Amino acid sequence: MDGDSTTTDASQLGITGEYMASSHYVLQSQDDDGEESLNDHEDGGIKENFREQDIYLPIANVARIMKSAVPQTGKIAKDAKECVQECVSEFISFITSEASERCHQEKRKTINGEDILFAMSTLGFDMYVEPLKLYLQKFREAMKGEKGMPGVSVGESLGEELADDTFRIITADGQQQNVMVYTTSYQQIPAVQQIQFS
Amino acid sequence: MKMSGNAAARDNQTPHSKVISLPISRVKLIMKSSPDVCFINQDALFLTTKATELFVQNLALSSFNNGSGKGTNTLSYSDLANIAEETETFHFLTDILPKKILARDYLKSMEQMQEEDDDL
Repeated sequence: MDGDSTTTDASQLGITGEYMASSHYVLQSQDDDGEESLNDHEDGGIKENFREQDIYLPIANVARIMKSAVPQTGKIAKDAKECVQECVSEFISFITSEASERCHQEKRKTINGEDILFAMSTLGFDMYVEPLKLYLQKFREAMKGEKGMPGVSVGESLGEELADDTFRIITADGQQQNVMVYTTSYQQIPAVQQIQFS
Repeated sequence: MKMSGNAAARDNQTPHSKVISLPISRVKLIMKSSPDVCFINQDALFLTTKATELFVQNLALSSFNNGSGKGTNTLSYSDLANIAEETETFHFLTDILPKKILARDYLKSMEQMQEEDDDL
């Protein structure tokens, strides 16, 4: 590769596949300095750099939910999964900032459930509101069985025993391993453990 | 251990719809990255997490159905980009879902722009 910054060689432009974003002219180009060091290589850097604004939910979880929604025989392209992962963060931020604004207007510091529901219906997601209220009700009923606030405890809890009447959401949101255990148990229903690796 | 959003019935073996399958702490992290957010109560966190699940299902299914007319049976990036443009609820995604163009078309238009500059 020469020092000229223009090139029409797709592989040198770091374009995987044939597509790239247009109006924003997003190109993942390689370093064009004369001395290119492999350590400074920025190819694919967007996903590798962990910036605060790029916090995503684990792609395995997202992909699983997508699969549960589309027909059995349907397939999902890899870049579609990655893209939905980003859309999810966007969605969460979208709802949160709307809810937060309302809190501010009412001089409150804590975003509560009502704020979230209100934000959803303001932003065009009012079809979620009723189902969410039902889920919340079930969530609260289950929590009543627990003495005190169950809260969310972070830590490895794979081997832990749970009494039938207790309800806990346990997340072991580790580092690269990202082992998560979600366990709920309602009064008539025995504990179900879901272990997800992503 | 499959996740079924449909089974709302209280089945002894699989109360899937009650289980949250997204990491709450990560959702909280994303929420906290919004400016001016102070505290988030438990209900709000739960609702946001659950809503996110619904959102993913909604987005995936809408996009899939929107694109399935082309007979590919695969949900692709362009299905998502299209739905963001066509459906008002998903308009907020248009910035992060730009429609993609072929590299050669882009380069061609760049060359044309270059030629126009040269002509001036």
